[in-house]
Amino acid sequence: MRIVCPFCGERELGEFTYLGDAKPMRPEAGASEDEVFDYVYLRDNAAGQTSEHWYHGGGCRAWLKVTRNTLTHEISAVEPAAGVGARQVAK
Amino acid sequence: MVDFSWAPRSPLEKALVAGVHGARGIEAGVSLTEIRNFDLVQVMARRGKAADMATAAKVRFGVAAPETPTAVGAADATLIWSGPDQFFVLSKGGKHSTEALAQAFASSASLSDQSHARVLISISGDKARAMLAKLSSIDLHPDAFPVGAAAATSIDHTSVTLRRGNDRDGLAVFNLLVFATFAESLWHTMLDSAAEYGVVIGHSEEF
Repeated sequence: MRIVCPFCGERELGEFTYLGDAKPMRPEAGASEDEVFDYVYLRDNAAGQTSEHWYHGGGCRAWLKVTRNTLTHEISAVEPAAGVGARQVAK
Repeated sequence: MVDFSWAPRSPLEKALVAGVHGARGIEAGVSLTEIRNFDLVQVMARRGKAADMATAAKVRFGVAAPETPTAVGAADATLIWSGPDQFFVLSKGGKHSTEALAQAFASSASLSDQSHARVLISISGDKARAMLAKLSSIDLHPDAFPVGAAAATSIDHTSVTLRRGNDRDGLAVFNLLVFATFAESLWHTMLDSAAEYGVVIGHSEEF
């Protein structure tokens, strides 16, 4: 498997580390116990398109958001994760 | 009170044995040269300050800092891309040390002195590309990795900054920055990889 890093170009899998599902968003501070439980423990086991966080530790050390199909391993999109590079963050 | 005497030594002090290694009876195909005594500063834009950092770099060096994986030559420094919104300043003689650059980037970027944290190795010779191809997964073909190209990549599971310098005698020259404590391991790996072509080993104070 290869991932096309938006900063470095196409690289082998060995340069990347998988973090996990990019979908769960941390609930607000006052969220219910159920919402926090969902965020911490519950994951969809999707057969098809998933959004995942990968870390290009062997290269530019950027966090990436990868859209991957779990049935075919086809990667349809790779974008910088939120906040990667000072440029991507609004002033 | 104790008087300290700092005597900087290369991390390759023991591993590097100057001379000819590997295959004999043929002209050596690879030259491995450690470049010693350089200044290396990492410049990383602070949050929301990438444009300010770019302006500061242009003012300081007279050229724009690289925003893609390339290395840019300034009058007395080389600016090497190292990731989004960050680059290395490679120079000699203290003119662009952390202290010298502090004022220029005071309001836009954080500086980190890497001078003694990396080892700089120059790889040349007509088998340099063949030797590197055994270790690196990136495409080093001249069309894909021309003069001035740079890459943050991994060789032998070790993070390196690989850069193609100006050709010498019509042959490609690759410059590699590696973390000091990984340098000896990578050095031995490269030596093994180059042995079949014959290797000339040395060190230099010149880029």
